Amino acid sequence: MARAFLREKDHYVALLESTERTVLLGLMQQTRLLLSPEIEPTGDAFDDLVASMGLSLSAADQQTDSASLDDRDPALDRLLPTAHRGDDEIAAEFRRLTEEGLRQRKSGNLDVALACVDGAVGNRVVLDEAQAPAFLMALTDVRLLLGERMGMRTEEDAEALHAAMDDIDDDDPLGYAMAWYDFLTWLQETLTHALMGTDLRDVVAAYDADDVEDDLEEDVDDDEGRRPDGTV
Amino acid sequence: MTAATLSLAPAEQEVTSTDEAVAPDVPWVTIVWNDPVNLMTYVTWVFETYFGYARPKAEKLMMDVHVKGRAVVSNGPRESMERDAEALQGYGLWATFEKDS
Repeated sequence: MARAFLREKDHYVALLESTERTVLLGLMQQTRLLLSPEIEPTGDAFDDLVASMGLSLSAADQQTDSASLDDRDPALDRLLPTAHRGDDEIAAEFRRLTEEGLRQRKSGNLDVALACVDGAVGNRVVLDEAQAPAFLMALTDVRLLLGERMGMRTEEDAEALHAAMDDIDDDDPLGYAMAWYDFLTWLQETLTHALMGTDLRDVVAAYDADDVEDDLEEDVDDDEGRRPDGTV
Repeated sequence: MTAATLSLAPAEQEVTSTDEAVAPDVPWVTIVWNDPVNLMTYVTWVFETYFGYARPKAEKLMMDVHVKGRAVVSNGPRESMERDAEALQGYGLWATFEKDS
């Protein structure tokens, strides 16, 4: 059974079981792979300087038309969405100037989070003040990717997905994906509360991984505290 | 303008000068859009952390996103709005910028 992130002096500590850490690591690694920047930190001073300015020098990114974006992974459009609705030219220019930098920052957050989970002592995943926000942002990107893969693009999609869990087959991968999505939602909620210093008594402070299967059969609406009803 | 009032200036110039007269007074805005993934608490935390907004203001903006589907979270010159949109996208929010209308 997992225990929520709670503040311990100047650290944030969650207790996650081996399976939970393994799944978390796997999902974070997949997200990290998708977001990999053109220019990974190389040690080469010039490359790193250019990369740190958020400018991509790759030929593909020099195009300002949207054609090159049409065939890219739709999940990237969720993780790196258009920044201007209505003017493709402005959107393309913004993307050209910012996407590499965003990829680097998001990848950096995931690297921090991966190291924290990987470095767990026993079941204790420990974050310091600097790691906690990075972990929070990494969880967001993992959930955005998982949500996109499950077709969760609108509130209606989310409701339909949760409703579909009632009738889903035990071995349907979508059921497992949804159960882990709910787990990540719960984990992120507890870390956010811990960071904001808000009362945790209203939040379920423990999460039973064994319930993952139960979730497939339960009416999630009755499953207060674990259903991600706190989504915006 | 009536047909009798003839202007010697090329039409293009007139348009340009009109734009210049108006543009500096029109601020740009950063907008955050509703999405089914981001948590209400997290969005509030982002508004507090990035903008330094006090909790009531951060929660009000979060509720606007939640209920109305979008909220203007900052306004100012275009460069600042681009910076805000980029930062908020870094947090995983669906942020855009545009000229205020």
